[in-house]
Amino acid sequence: MEANFNQPQRQSPIGILVIFVDSLQKFARAFLPLVLIVMFKADTLSKIFVFLGIVGLLLLVGVVAYLRYLNFTFYIDAEHDEFIVSDGIINKTKTTIQLNKIQQVNIHQNIIQRLIGIYALSVDTAGSDKKEGDIKAISHDLALALKAKLLDNELQKSQKVTEFSEENEPKVTVSNEVHPFLKISLSSLFKVGITSNYVRSIGLILTFFFTILDNLRNIGKDDVIDGDKIEKLVDNYPVIYSILFFIIVLFTIVFLINIGRTVIKYFDLTISKQKGSLLMSYGLINTESTILKPEKVQIVNLSQNYFQKKLNVLEIKIKQAISDEKKQKKALIEIPGCNATERDEILKLIFKQLPEKGVKMLPNFRKLVFSIFLTIVLPLTGFYFFGKRIDAEVFKYTHFAIFYTVFSLIIHFFGFRNYRLFISDNHIIKQSGAWDVDHEIIEIKKIQALTTSQLFWHKNLNIGSLTMHTAGGSLTFYLGQYDTIKDYVNLWLYEIETSDSNWM
Amino acid sequence: MENFTNEAIDTKQLPRYEAISLTPLHAKYWNVQLINLLVVFFILGIAVGVIWYSAEELSNYGLPILVAFLVVFSVSILLNRLAFKKKAFAFRNHDVIYRSGLIATSTMVIPYNRVQHVALHEGFVSRIFGLAKVEIFTAGGNSSDLEIPGIAKEEAENIKQLLMGKIQKQL
Repeated sequence: MEANFNQPQRQSPIGILVIFVDSLQKFARAFLPLVLIVMFKADTLSKIFVFLGIVGLLLLVGVVAYLRYLNFTFYIDAEHDEFIVSDGIINKTKTTIQLNKIQQVNIHQNIIQRLIGIYALSVDTAGSDKKEGDIKAISHDLALALKAKLLDNELQKSQKVTEFSEENEPKVTVSNEVHPFLKISLSSLFKVGITSNYVRSIGLILTFFFTILDNLRNIGKDDVIDGDKIEKLVDNYPVIYSILFFIIVLFTIVFLINIGRTVIKYFDLTISKQKGSLLMSYGLINTESTILKPEKVQIVNLSQNYFQKKLNVLEIKIKQAISDEKKQKKALIEIPGCNATERDEILKLIFKQLPEKGVKMLPNFRKLVFSIFLTIVLPLTGFYFFGKRIDAEVFKYTHFAIFYTVFSLIIHFFGFRNYRLFISDNHIIKQSGAWDVDHEIIEIKKIQALTTSQLFWHKNLNIGSLTMHTAGGSLTFYLGQYDTIKDYVNLWLYEIETSDSNWM
Repeated sequence: MENFTNEAIDTKQLPRYEAISLTPLHAKYWNVQLINLLVVFFILGIAVGVIWYSAEELSNYGLPILVAFLVVFSVSILLNRLAFKKKAFAFRNHDVIYRSGLIATSTMVIPYNRVQHVALHEGFVSRIFGLAKVEIFTAGGNSSDLEIPGIAKEEAENIKQLLMGKIQKQL
C-alpha cells in the first residue's frame, strides 16, 4: 500500500474516541475531587443538577475532542524534508521536525487503542524533552507506511555517509519486508524474572509492608494484627524457623512480582531487521514498538549474574545519543533475556562486527583499599566512637556490624576482581560489578571527549583514572596504570582526529 | 608498547597531549576570583555576625568565632590560589586541552570535530577586567562540556573564531 503523506491529513475518524478518553482523563484528574465532594455532600435535589452537570461536561469534552480531531493534521513536506504537525483549537501549534533529525519513530498501543484497533505514533528527536509529533490515532498500515517514509530519508542520508566513510559493507537492504531474527521466548522471560532485580523488588515489598503497618498503627487498630497470636506462633517454633519461613515467603513474593512484571512488560518481544535498523516490539497490555538505528547507539551494556550465566540468559541495555539528562531513561532500550547466540547477533547488527575483548587493563589494588576504607573502616570507626563516647547501647548491635563488614568485604572483593577494561582496535569494554557483572561496550570512534585524572598523592605511583565521554553517557575507569592510559588517549585522539567518522 | 596491535602507526611518534606546555589563565583572572571570594565571605560574615549578635549564649565566644572565620577565609583564599595555578589550557591543531583541579588534577581533551558549538560568556566582574569565558559544547551533555575562564576578551574572540572555523570545515 502506497500512502501519500504530502497533503495535510487528519487521524483516523475513530480516533475521536481516543482523544475523547484522553481529554476526559485530563478533565477527570483536574475535577474529580470536586465532583466527588459535591456528590456526597449534596442533597437529592442538587444531585440532579450534579448529574446534569456531568452530562454537560461529557458533552463539552466530546465537542472539545471533536474539535481537537478536526484541528490536528500532519504531513511530510517533501520539498524541505520536514514532518509537520499542526495542533490546537484556539492556540495553534505547528511543530516542524526535520526528517534527518529524527531519532526514533515509536508505534504503540494502549488499552483503548487496542480495543478499537488503532495505533499511536510518536516521533523522537534528540533536541527536546517533549514528545514531538505525537499522533494519537492512526491505522496500523498507515503507521507503518508513515514510519517507513519518515525513516526513508534517514536511509538516503546514511547511504551517502557510508559511501564516504571507510565502512566496507554498507548494510542497506532495500527490501521492505521484515525478517524477525530474534524472538524472546516465554521461558527466557521467566528465567530473567527469577534471576534479576532482587534488590529493587525487596525494597518495593518492604516499603509496601511498612506503609501498611504504619497505616494500621495510625488508625489505632492494633487488634488487626493480633500480637499475642503471632507471638504464640513464633514461640511454638525455634526462631530460626520463623526467620527461614519469612525469608522463603519474601523470596516467593519477589519471584512472583519479578516474573509478572517482566512477562507483562516484555511479552512476545520480537526483534527484526529492517533496512539496517533494529525493530523491536513487545508488551502484553500495552504494545510498544521501537526502531533503533545502529549509528545512534552509544553504549551497549550486557549484564549477567551467576544464575543467569548458568541458565544462559543475559540482559542488554542500549543507550542512544541524547542531549538532555532527563531523557536518558527514554533513550534507554532494554532487551531482557536473550542467550549468547542472540546477543552476538544483536551486537553484530549494532557494531557490524563482534566487539572483541582486546588488551586487558587492571585497576591498582589501591582501588580495593580505598573502597574498603570508605565503606567499612569509616563507618566502623564512627560506630565504635559512638558506642564509646555517647551511647553504649549500640554495642548490642555488634553482630549486625560484623555481618555488614563481612558482606561488604565479599562484595568489594568480587567487584574488584571483576573490574577490568578491555581495549581492542575499535571498541572499549568496561567490565564491572560484584553480583551482576556488566560489560559496557563503546566504540572508539564515538568518543566525544577524553578526561584523564590523577590524585596528587598518586603522582609518583603512576596511577590515575580515565573517563570516556560519549553522547550517551560517560564511562570511567578508576586507578589504572597512568602511563598506559595516556598512551591510549594519545592513540584514540589521533584516530578520532584523523577520521571523519559519523559518530551519530 | 607491545600491547598495541595496530602496527601501521608508531604510537611513540604520536603527539603527546601531556607533553604540551599549557597556557595559564590570565593573571588578572585571579583578581576576579578574589573579588568573588570577598563578596561571598562578606555576605557570610554578615550572616555570622547577625547570628552572634542575636543568640545570647554565643556572646562569650566572640573571639573564637572571629578567629575561626578568618582561618576559613584565609584557607579558602589559599586553596583558590593553588587551584588557580593549576588551571591551564592549550589549543592544538586538532583539539583543545584544559587542565584543572587541586586534589584530583584532571585533563580534558576535546577534538574539534566533536565540538557542537562555542559560546563566549562575560561575567559582571570579569568584564571590568576585560576578561571572558570560552564555553565549548559537545554532544556528550554536561559531563563533556568545557568552560575556560580568564581569557582576555580579544583573545577569546579569536579563539571562538578559530573554533568556529574548524567546526565549519568539518561540515
